Amino acid sequence: MTGTRPFAVVTDSTADLPDEWRTRYGIEVVPLKVIFGNETFRDRVDITDEQFFRRLSTATKLPTTSAPSPGEFADVYRRLARDHDGCISIHLGAQLSATVQAAQIGAQAVDGFRVQVIDSETVTMPIAFLCKVAAESESLEAARAAVEERVPKCRVLALLDTLRYLEMGGRLSRAQAMIGTMLDVKPLLLVADREIKPVERVRTRSRAITRMVEFLRGELPVEHVAVMHAQAPEEAETIAAGLRRELPGQEIVIGEIGCVLGTHTGPRALGAVYIKK
Amino acid sequence: MASRRPVGVDGPLFKQALLGSLNWLAANHEEVNRLNVFPVPDGDTGTNMLLTLQSAVEDIKESNAAEVSKIAKLASHGSLMGARGNSGVILSQIFRGFARAVEGKSSLTPRELAAAFEEAANAAYRAVNKPTEGTILTVAREAGRAATTAAGDVEASVPGVIAAAAAGARAAVLKTPSQLQILRDAGVVDAGGFGLQLIIEGMLKTVEESESFHIDTAATKPRAAQVAMDLPEGGWGYCTEFLIEGNGLDVDLIRGEIEALGNSVLVVGEPELVKVHVHTDDPTSVITLAGGFGKLLKLNVGDMSTQHKRILDSESAAGRPPRANGVGLVAVVAGSGLVDIFRGLGVDAIVEGGQTMNPSTQDMLNAVDGVPYDEVVLLPNNGNVILAASQVRGLTKKKVHVIETHSVPQGVAAVVAFRPERNGDDNAAAMKAEAARVQTIEVTHAVRDTRSNGLKVKKGDVIGLINDKLEFAGTDYAEVVNKALGKLGPDSFELVTVYRGQGASDDELANLESAIRSNFPGLEVEIQQGGQQHYPFILSVE
Repeated sequence: MTGTRPFAVVTDSTADLPDEWRTRYGIEVVPLKVIFGNETFRDRVDITDEQFFRRLSTATKLPTTSAPSPGEFADVYRRLARDHDGCISIHLGAQLSATVQAAQIGAQAVDGFRVQVIDSETVTMPIAFLCKVAAESESLEAARAAVEERVPKCRVLALLDTLRYLEMGGRLSRAQAMIGTMLDVKPLLLVADREIKPVERVRTRSRAITRMVEFLRGELPVEHVAVMHAQAPEEAETIAAGLRRELPGQEIVIGEIGCVLGTHTGPRALGAVYIKK
Repeated sequence: MASRRPVGVDGPLFKQALLGSLNWLAANHEEVNRLNVFPVPDGDTGTNMLLTLQSAVEDIKESNAAEVSKIAKLASHGSLMGARGNSGVILSQIFRGFARAVEGKSSLTPRELAAAFEEAANAAYRAVNKPTEGTILTVAREAGRAATTAAGDVEASVPGVIAAAAAGARAAVLKTPSQLQILRDAGVVDAGGFGLQLIIEGMLKTVEESESFHIDTAATKPRAAQVAMDLPEGGWGYCTEFLIEGNGLDVDLIRGEIEALGNSVLVVGEPELVKVHVHTDDPTSVITLAGGFGKLLKLNVGDMSTQHKRILDSESAAGRPPRANGVGLVAVVAGSGLVDIFRGLGVDAIVEGGQTMNPSTQDMLNAVDGVPYDEVVLLPNNGNVILAASQVRGLTKKKVHVIETHSVPQGVAAVVAFRPERNGDDNAAAMKAEAARVQTIEVTHAVRDTRSNGLKVKKGDVIGLINDKLEFAGTDYAEVVNKALGKLGPDSFELVTVYRGQGASDDELANLESAIRSNFPGLEVEIQQGGQQHYPFILSVE
């Protein structure tokens, strides 16, 4: 299909793009990196999700993550320039990562190839949905318009089993999460409007799952819905079942949280992601 | 003898009668405390009633009002502010009903006195959602009926009516075990009812002797009265209080002038004695102004920032960004660990209190008025505190939601459900719903031998209560908790949070934890330092 479409679609590994879509739409995925001590792994290239979470649970020191370099983006764009007029490059929210910036600098290094870099302002599968929307567009212009219209409507509702990882990564303070230092309280976090904000606190995972479904009910109508999980497929299935009851006829994709996002969410994270209509 | 007997109840006589009540209750309140239905360390009914009555008579002591209506009104106001525990709150409603019944009257005939007793009981019934017979309510009603019967006599006298009321109360108290199974099991009469009996008997003693008792000032030392506060934006200011004694004092005029100098103004009283309460940055001007009206008594100027240290979070609400919904959180909590937990969850002000130390309506009112929000959610976190907490609603200009949390776990569940961007009504509904989902297990030692809920309990036994109901007794904590968790049905729950109290040792905690983990492998167990007194363990099951 890439051959018939005059523009390419590029994203990064934090889009948690399903392999099937990657093949079907010919979407380019630039990996971010996970660094354990002095070992660097390209997300989902040098390390699988399963290997990563196994290592995360036993690591004495938490891994760090880093954006692709501008040079890596330039290499990808240069390669795509051979048989495309341009590309749309949709990435992890700039409030969370330097990826967008690296893509922009990389794009400037490739003369004569039009790169439309999009800051998705979000994480994980809403980015994959944006890629899908772009890939199904007629032209780069149409893709840009369709994606930009949806960026402010992307939502990620997440339950983290612990805030340890997010906190250590400096992405959220406990005060922001509205939780005390004492009790094990699980916040439901909403990534929206370039912010991570707590929308609910619960003490048990089953309560969180119920709340997630209830929260989504208040967000209808929605298009593109997925349930994300970090090594918790059964609970993801429970959420999906709840969402299917709320949204008959809506396809609910189940996706896995990859290494880079997993570094900040920790294992057993769950999420409902969607784009509001 | 008969000629010396008072023919009507006027202000001075009613004042003496109430002081007599206070004296008699003070002398006997420990006996009331011992009438504890549950073998658990509990909010002491006698102490709660005594503190409520002290608050009722506090301002009366300074009053020389001739009219019974004025004394009754002061008693009504004072008891409402000082109400503690359920019996205290009902007592305050009895005073309120009495005050309403005698409104505008300078003296009461025996018949009017009896009618006022009856109306006092009616008011108490109306104040309770589900009136239970065999309690202070029944005693109040029977006292009123007996008084009315005596007042119908052609030779009815004031002492005769009060004597009949006292006899009616006594008979009703003796019958309470036949009305309430829990009293029968425990082999006691109702404590609140007995407290009321003592109050009426105290009146009778005074009226019969027609002279005042010597009031033991140490035992009846008045608590500093504080009244509703709306805090100035700029700072705490000074809480300034005093009484003005004079002749023909114009209450409305004084109120108008004081209002210009501060806020949270309360000016009440009578031409001879006016009580003033105001929050001001300039107490000197207030005092100078008031001094022009009459003689100032009981002047008390308190720096409110100091006063509030007692009740306010040390990190203080001021250190936090203002909450989007403008709703504050106040919780009644005791135990250092629990206080930290509630603070950590975002509670703005903590009122120290709980099981054996029931805070007064006034304590909770101060906290509610002290938080920088116009709408407040109040969590009593104890069954004995709920009624006193619900009185706060009528005493402040703020909108107050009282979530009827009966236990610490319910309180935690409610606070966890609070969302700073959601409005107060929706938060209150969500908090109530979440509190109801949590099951509470409390573990303590029986404070005496008893039978309750079909269980024979010996003093010192480990006892387990599920949602305030005594369910199990045994010899060690783990055994009782195992039974309680088994009864709740662990399959329907996911998480057990153990709040460790002061009385639990490290070994006891370790034993309990391993017992829960091995007997209920499906449950997650979280251990928290609660630091609460009297209950070695409180468990939240959800």
